[in-house]
Amino acid sequence: MPIIAKQCGIKFDPPSVVLIYENEHTNKLRKRVMPVRSFSQFSDCSRAAETKHHPRHGRYLDSVSLEQLVRLHTVLRDHLRGLSVEASLREQHRAQAHEEDLNKLGDEELNRCKAQMDVLFEVNRRHKDDPDFVYDLEVEFPENSVRETCSWDQSDEEF
Amino acid sequence: MAGDVKRIPDSEQEKYDSDEQVKIICLGDSAVGKSKLMERFLMDGYRPQQLSTYALTLYKYNTTINGKPVLVDFWDTAGQERFQSMHPSYYHKAHACVMVFDVQRKITYKNLSSWYKELREYRPEIPCLVVANKIDADMRVTQKSFNFAKKQGLPFYFVSAADGTNVVKVFKDAINMALSYKKNSSDFMDVVMRELENFDLEAKEDSGGDDEEEEEEEEEEEGKAA
Ligand SMILES: Nc1nc2c(ncn2[C@@H]2O[C@H](COP(=O)(O)OP(=O)(O)OP(=O)(O)O)[C@@H](O)[C@H]2O)c(=O)[nH]1
Ligand SMILES: [Mg+2]
Repeated sequence: MPIIAKQCGIKFDPPSVVLIYENEHTNKLRKRVMPVRSFSQFSDCSRAAETKHHPRHGRYLDSVSLEQLVRLHTVLRDHLRGLSVEASLREQHRAQAHEEDLNKLGDEELNRCKAQMDVLFEVNRRHKDDPDFVYDLEVEFPENSVRETCSWDQSDEEF
Repeated sequence: MAGDVKRIPDSEQEKYDSDEQVKIICLGDSAVGKSKLMERFLMDGYRPQQLSTYALTLYKYNTTINGKPVLVDFWDTAGQERFQSMHPSYYHKAHACVMVFDVQRKITYKNLSSWYKELREYRPEIPCLVVANKIDADMRVTQKSFNFAKKQGLPFYFVSAADGTNVVKVFKDAINMALSYKKNSSDFMDVVMRELENFDLEAKEDSGGDDEEEEEEEEEEEGKAA
């Protein structure tokens, strides 16, 4: 069934991710509620990846980014910690402002950022017991003439 | 001297003069994935040695190159360390450097130039490999060219510690470059270091200790702060 995601949000009780989507065949709008099982204030954001790859719900969330799901799960968790939606988003925003330069963060803040990075790391990770694991995986990225210059090279400072 | 706490005795680094041992250092901002890359390369076949007093991790790796056993010491430090002043002994006698940035964070790319500058103050000629990590997060970056490496004439790699792309290649290349650098080393600093060491020994025998090397250290730290 082809799914066009329209909106993705949350419900607090029980903690759930809610998706409004369109069924492309019928053109009908539908709502799907996906409970996040045994979620607590101590759950970390890796639960977002579990939701995204959930055996039944996963395919509905194809076009919903992991980033957005992490954000929503964090709001769910912060709610259980007594934070309002606004407060949670504000906190998340503040953490993001720091996101670029991590060199100066304290240990705890740095670890929180790394924990957030771990979500994607674990999703994309190939384990050595995976059947298709290749230890020395070489991929060539040929330097062709149409290669575009990264915008990072175009700003003020020169190397 | 503030750096004393983190000073690694030279006697512990003399082993790097022998032909079958090389020292490879990792540089780069906090959280770019230096440690994850090391771990992906070494898998289970390593003995990490946490030198907490020096805030660095040493990974020992045994391999065979051209039929000869080679012991590689990989030195990994936290990007944060830089801001608490990284001691010159981190660079001392290194034979190659793997310099990492995170393709998801521009600042880590911009900071390459200051990492590189510091590296070159201590080790003007060792091979340096530039590594763009986390390409799994956004494969489109591999379509782009990053000019820093090209400008400095350094080899460049797109890698992912998560899915393993090109990780082993980077470290194998680094080992080979380290070995051939060592064999053909004409690095001026290296020669000076060796002479200084000899001098130091002689001086010790003569007068029971000399500050020659201490002075050198202080100069280096000033240079770094500038
Ligand atoms: N998606 C993705 N994430 C990665 C990759 N490599 C590392 N990470 C993430 O980045 C975080 C930081 O990686 P580390 O290896 O701890 O970084 P580091 O450079 O050693 O950091 P410091 O020791 O603080 O200087 C990890 O917790 C991972 O979640 C990668 O190839 N892909
Ligand atoms: Mg590390």
